[in-house]
Order: sequence, then structure tokens, then C-alpha cells
Amino acid sequence: MSGGILRVGRRVSIRVHRAPLIVAAGLVVVILVVAWLTLTLGELGIAPADLLPSILGAGTHRDSLIFSAFRGPRLVVGIAVGAAYGISGALFQTVTRNPLGSPDVIGLTSGAAAGAAAFGLLVPGILPTPVGALLGALAAMALVWVGTGRGFTSPARMLLVGIGVSAMALAFVQFVIARSSLQQATVLASWLNGSLAARSWSDAAIIVVSVIVLAPVALLLSPRLQLMEMGDEQADALGARSGSTRLAAILVAIGLATAAVSVAGPIAFVALTAPQIARRIVRRPGPQVMLSGLMGAFLLALADLLVQQEPFDVQLPVGIVTAAIGGVYLGYLLVADWRRGTV
Amino acid sequence: MMQHAPRTDSAPQASATSRLSARGLRLAYDRRVVVDSLSIDIPDGGFTVIVGPNACGKSTLLKAFARTLTPAAGSVLLDGRPLESYRSKAVARTLALLPQSPIAPEAITVRDLVGRGRYPHQGLLRQWSPADERAVDDALAATGNTSLAERHVAELSGGQRQRVWMAMVLAQQTELLLLDEPTTFLDIAHQYDVLELCARMHAEGRTLVAVLHDLNQAARYATNLVVMKDGAIVDQGEPGRILSPELLEHVFGLSCVIIPDPVTGTPLVVPRRP
Repeated sequence: MSGGILRVGRRVSIRVHRAPLIVAAGLVVVILVVAWLTLTLGELGIAPADLLPSILGAGTHRDSLIFSAFRGPRLVVGIAVGAAYGISGALFQTVTRNPLGSPDVIGLTSGAAAGAAAFGLLVPGILPTPVGALLGALAAMALVWVGTGRGFTSPARMLLVGIGVSAMALAFVQFVIARSSLQQATVLASWLNGSLAARSWSDAAIIVVSVIVLAPVALLLSPRLQLMEMGDEQADALGARSGSTRLAAILVAIGLATAAVSVAGPIAFVALTAPQIARRIVRRPGPQVMLSGLMGAFLLALADLLVQQEPFDVQLPVGIVTAAIGGVYLGYLLVADWRRGTV
Repeated sequence: MMQHAPRTDSAPQASATSRLSARGLRLAYDRRVVVDSLSIDIPDGGFTVIVGPNACGKSTLLKAFARTLTPAAGSVLLDGRPLESYRSKAVARTLALLPQSPIAPEAITVRDLVGRGRYPHQGLLRQWSPADERAVDDALAATGNTSLAERHVAELSGGQRQRVWMAMVLAQQTELLLLDEPTTFLDIAHQYDVLELCARMHAEGRTLVAVLHDLNQAARYATNLVVMKDGAIVDQGEPGRILSPELLEHVFGLSCVIIPDPVTGTPLVVPRRP
């Protein structure tokens, strides 16, 4: 078996798989590299030697300001939002047993967009707000719950109803854009692509706390989720209670995605691609919660680094870059799978 | 005289030699009732085979036994207590189910899949004990899968795959095994391969309950045959005693003669030409 067992006495035996651990360590390293580059590169970069003092608040006034007001919170939000989307996607994909199951497909992010747009319409001026996004996401999930006629128990119905809710929400967003002034419409459109620009420490606190609270729950659900890959019947027969496991996993996934979308907008494809890439790298079954989170964090942090440092000054929204990086890399992995004949 | 009226009314005698039984069971999907007021005792140490026409409720009954379907009324009893009153892992340590079409996860190896049968014996801090390792090795050996252990399940043939699933169920180390049409989709050699494996598990002392389609296979391997029609039990007992042309005419609408199987002497059903 690839890995070992950590034994403490006779009662405790923790199973450790080698491949996921190696990949996780590798991801942590590349995330740290991206973080370092994010803080040091460019005109506003902090000189590497001054980095640690600036983070600890002992740097020059300029460096401390750059860290605490601009690049610090943006970096933390990027990493935490990426992790939240990655874990959320892994959970959705596992409980729906469908690689397309993600907060995007299920209608959550479109609902958040509609909520933000509605807020802009009702309360013009402070458009678009995280509160609107939060309410929109929750409303969309309530619609999916009601629309399936069976709550969240039937994955196939969830996907279908989710696609319907998503289409309605996007139609509403288009309607709002058509009704808004040019300036409002531009602001809304840029929010709709997802952005990490101008985030504050309070944004960072919201998403970091959400991840710290919900990620361990997702990890605890992993053994049962793993059994659900074999079908609900088999999971039930093994004592994994598929009904309550699915509900718990979906609530955690909704919580993470809602926090992420409120803070950073609907950043495309992270939730969809991060778990798939993580799985294909380790080539093991199971939801791979931890790796999906780390992969999501890496993808988003890397995309935001590119957005901040691109030389043409076109102000690309980060969502477009994540779609490009994630999509291309996933495409490469899929082609490799086809060549091997395992898909 | 054989009685063909459904035995549904009175509760059978609670027998001391039956860990698994059902009383007044009603099973339904949404509002469609499939089985109503059914009572049955599964004899301990027996190989019970349930047969009946399509949609007679035999698989549904098996699902209720495995607790993957909650009864609309009545209850399944394990050691005299309703199944719902147990913790789900405790039930899974006593009875195992092999569903009709289980899904093999992507990129899983044979050994890992069989290891998943150990879940009911594990906990947060007890993830993989020496007992788990032993159970998996034994299950692989008993099903002749030891040499396939490190292969990916996706690379195996249908017959090999069914043996792997049987190994997973064995690794669960339960006294009772429920098998939902374990021979479906297999060629005839692999069908008998799986049935012989079942017979061996039975000979080792386990209680088996299987749903089968083939009457002759059922008659050859069952020690206790349960014949169902329209959600009710028509007759139950030793195959040689209960199988008769009248019963089959009544249950399947099939006109046939029954002769002794030239190999085993068990009943062999030969349909007449219409």
C-alpha cells in the first residue's frame, strides 16, 4: 500500500497516504512562492529583505502601508477564496457523482450575481454589495431546494433545477444591466467576472474564518463521502448514511461558496477545475478535500499575481485568468488521460 | 395440499433460530406500494434465495433488510429489535449488502476497494488496524483475488469485478450477507463461479439471502426458497418440497414439467411449448 499507518497504542491508527501528502507539500511550497512574488514584484513591491519586518509591522511606513492596505489583504483573500471554491467544488462533485457539479452549475454563483444586481437596482450607489450577493446565493439555493421536490436528496434533479435557476438569475442580471446607467453597468459587469482588487482585512477575516470553520467539517465528512462514490445503496449498507452525509456536505459546500462569492464575486472555474486537477495529479479515488482546497488556493493566487503584474495594463478581471489557466491545464490532463485510455 | 393464497395475514412464529426477520412490512417508493403486510423469518445459517416475476418486490425486500429503504409501516427485526433502533455502523457489522449495480470509483485499486468494506469497523482515530489488514487479505484470498490486489478495478473484466465486489462484502466480516442478483450481466461460467463462491461462504457458516432470476440455479443452491408474487410471499421452504408445476403456473404463468437435475438431483424446471 502506498503509505503508512501512524499507530499510537492499540486503539489509535491514523492512515497516511504518501501521494496526497507529497502533492500537498508541493502545493504549499508553490503557494508560498506565489505569495512571495505577489508581495515583492512590481513598482509597489516590497524589497525581499524588508518583507518580514513589513509583515510584522516593523517596516518603513511605505512598506507597511503597501502590505496592510493593498497587497496583504488581497493575497490572503485570494488564497482563502481559492481554497473555499476548491473545497466547495470537491464536495459538490462527490455528492452529485458528476464532475460538472460545482457552485457555478448548481446556480449558487449566478444567484449571488442576481442578488448583487438586485441590490444595485434597489439601493443605487452602493452597488454591488457582498450582502446582496449573500442573499442572492441563499435565495438561489432555497429555489433549488424547493424546485427538486425532494430537497437535496436527488443529485440529478439538483443539477437540472440548478441549471434552470442559474439561467433565470443570469436573465435577471442582464435585465438589470440593460436598465442601469453605463457607469453602474460597467461596475456590475466587472464584479460579475470576480475580482480581488481593493479587498480589506475585514473581507479577509470573513473568508478566512469561513474556511477555518468549514474545511475541518469537510475533512471529517471525507470517509463517508468516499463511500458514496460507490452509490447511495452501498454507502448505506456500509453504515455511512448517504442522506445525512449528502445534506451535511451540501450545506458545507454552500457555506464556503457563499462566503467566497460574497467576498470576491463569482470567480469562474476554480470550483470546477481545482478538484479535477487535484484528482488527476494524485490518481486516487475519494473527494480529496485538502488537495482541492490547496489547488484552488494556488490557482487563484497565481491568477491574481498574473493580473497584477501583466505588462499591458488592461485591468483583466482575475476570473478570466483562472478560466484560462484552469481550463487549459485541465484540458491538458484530460488529453493525457485519453492517451492512456483511462477516461 | 399446497396453499397458494398469499401468506400475509398472521405473523409467523418467532423462531429462536432467526436473527433477521420482518413483521407487517409495507414498502413503498413515494406513494407506490410495492410490498404490503409481509412477514418472514430468515433461517440462521441457511442460504435463502428469493425468486419471483419481475417487479414482484424481491429486490425491494432485500433493500429493506439492508436498511437502504425505510419501511412505510411494520419493521425489519435484527435479533428481535427494529433495525432503525441500531446505530448504522452496528447494523453494517452484522449484515452486508451487495447491490445490483455498485459503482466502482475512478482510479481505485482492488485492494483499496475491498478495504472500503472495513468502514463499519473503523473510527476517526482507528482508521486502519491490523485486523483491517487481515480481513482484506483474507477476503482477497477467499475470492481468488490476491494476484489482482494492486490492479485498477477499471481494468478488470465483468466476472473479475464481481469477485472483487464479493471480496469487499466479505471484508465487512458480517454473519449475514445480502446479495441482489449477483449473477446478472455475467456469462454462464462466471454465474456459476459466483454461485459456488456463495455456496462456500454458506458452508463456512454465514447466513445468505440472495435474489436470483434463474429458477434452476435457485433450486440448486438454496436451502430455503422464497417465492414471491405481487409483493407477497406465495410459498417458502426447501426447493425440492415446494417447487411444483402448479406453483410455477400460479406465480409465473408458465406451464412446465419438473425433473430431477441429472447432476445434483435438485428440481430442474423445463418449460412446455406454448
